[in-house]
Amino acid sequence: MISDTILNVVDLHKKYGDSIALDGVSFRVRKGETKVIIGPNGSGKTTLLKCLNLLVKPDKGRIWLGNIEITDPRININKIRRKIGFVFQDFNLFHHLTVLNNVMIGLVKVRKLKKHQAYKKAVDALSTVGLDNTLYYKYPAQLSGGQKQRVAIARALAMDPVIMLYDEPTSSLDPQFVNEVLQVIRKLAKNGVTSIIVTHQIDFALEIADEIIVMHKGRIIESGRPTELLSNPQNILTKKILIRNFRTLR
Amino acid sequence: MNYISLIEYLPYIFEGLLWSLALVLGGLGIGFTIGLPIGTMITYSDKYTKFILNVYIWIFRSTPLIVLLFLFYWGVFPNIGLKLSPLITSIIVLGLRSGAYQSEIFRGALESIDEGQILAAYSLGMSKIQAIISITIPQALRISIPSLSNEYAILLKDSAICFTIGVLEVLTRARIVSIATGIALIPYLIAGIILMMMTYIGLKFFHTVYKKTVIPGLIEGI
Repeated sequence: MISDTILNVVDLHKKYGDSIALDGVSFRVRKGETKVIIGPNGSGKTTLLKCLNLLVKPDKGRIWLGNIEITDPRININKIRRKIGFVFQDFNLFHHLTVLNNVMIGLVKVRKLKKHQAYKKAVDALSTVGLDNTLYYKYPAQLSGGQKQRVAIARALAMDPVIMLYDEPTSSLDPQFVNEVLQVIRKLAKNGVTSIIVTHQIDFALEIADEIIVMHKGRIIESGRPTELLSNPQNILTKKILIRNFRTLR
Repeated sequence: MNYISLIEYLPYIFEGLLWSLALVLGGLGIGFTIGLPIGTMITYSDKYTKFILNVYIWIFRSTPLIVLLFLFYWGVFPNIGLKLSPLITSIIVLGLRSGAYQSEIFRGALESIDEGQILAAYSLGMSKIQAIISITIPQALRISIPSLSNEYAILLKDSAICFTIGVLEVLTRARIVSIATGIALIPYLIAGIILMMMTYIGLKFFHTVYKKTVIPGLIEGI
C-alpha cells in the first residue's frame, strides 16, 4: 500500500434484494486529497459513502482506513467511525440539543473529553465553519438550512476525523444557502482536510476535486483529474454530465 | 337524611384523597419504570424479545382491572408467599397495567424519531445503547408527555375500582358515607369534585412540564 494512502477500497459489492447498488468498486484516497463522486441518481454514490463507515455493510470487498481493515468483522466499528466524519444530506442534527451540544455530544460521550475541553473544541469547530456565536445556544429547528449543515460539518469536524465524507451536502438546501456550505467545504479542502464528496454540483466538483469519480449502475465508469475529464472524457455519460452542466453553469 | 353527620364525615372523604394519590402516583411511577424499558426494547430489540414483551402487554391491556386485582390479591401474591395489603397490591397491579399502556406510549414516541438522528449518532462513534440513551429517549420522553397526562387521568378514575379489594380511596369512602348517612347523591358528588380537582391539578402539572421541556422552534404556538 502506498504510504500516504488514507483510504483503500477494494472490490466493494452491495445488493438491496435483487437490485445491485455497488458492483466491484475500488479506489484509493491519499492524505489531503479531495475526491468528488458524481453520477446520476441511483448510481450507488450514497451507498458507497455509507459503506465507507459501515453505516451500510457491504456484501463483499474490503476497506482499509490507514493500516486498519475496517471490514474485518473483529474490528470495533464504533472506534473507527469516530475517525470518519460524515455529513448527511438531511443534516440529521439532534433536535433536542443546542448547536453547541450537538457538537459537544460526540466529544463527551464518545471521546470522553471533559466538558470544558469539549466546549473549547466545539467552539473551535463552529468558528471554523463560520457560525456566529449568537447561534450557539439555538436549537436546530431555529436555524436556516445552511446554518444546520454548517453545524453538521462542525459536529463531524470536532471529532478530529482523518477523513470527511459528505453525502450531497447541499441537496436539501434552498438555493440561497448552497454557497455558504460550499464555501466551508472549499475552505476545509484547501486546508488539507482529506475529503470525499458526493455531489450534483458539477461546477463545484470541477473546481474543488483533485480527482473526480464518475459512477453509473454501481460501477466506477471513469475517474481522473477535472481538467482531464473535462477536456477528454472517455465515457459518453461522463461527457453528458460534465459538459452539459459545465456549459449550463457558465 | 342527616346532613350534619355528612359534614362530620367530610374529612373522612378527603382523607381518601391521599389514598387515591398513592394509587395514582404509585401506579404511574411503577408504570413508567416498567414502560420505558419495555417500550425501548420493543422498538430496538429482536423479534423474540418483542414477542415476549408483547405477550405481557397483551395480557395487561386486555384483562379487566377488577380481574387483575382479584387475581393478584387472592391468587398470585398469596401463592408466592407474599402477604400484601390491599393498597400495596393495588399500586402494584395498577403499575403493571399502566406499564403495559405506557410501553406503547413510549414505543410510539421512539418510532416517531427519524432514523437519521440514530445514523448520525452511529457516525460519531456512539454505540446503539449510547444513541438510544442520549439521543432518542430524551426526545421520546418529551413527545410522550401529552399521552402520559392522559394515562394519569385514566389511572385516577380506574383507581376507584380498587375499592373491590378494600382500598379506602375517595369513592370507597363516599360509598361508606352514603350508607352511613343515608344520603345517596351528595357524598358521590363531593368525591366527584375531589377527583375533578385532582385531574385538573395533575393535567396542569403535565402541561407545565411539557411547556418547560418543549424543544424551541420544533412546535409553534406553545
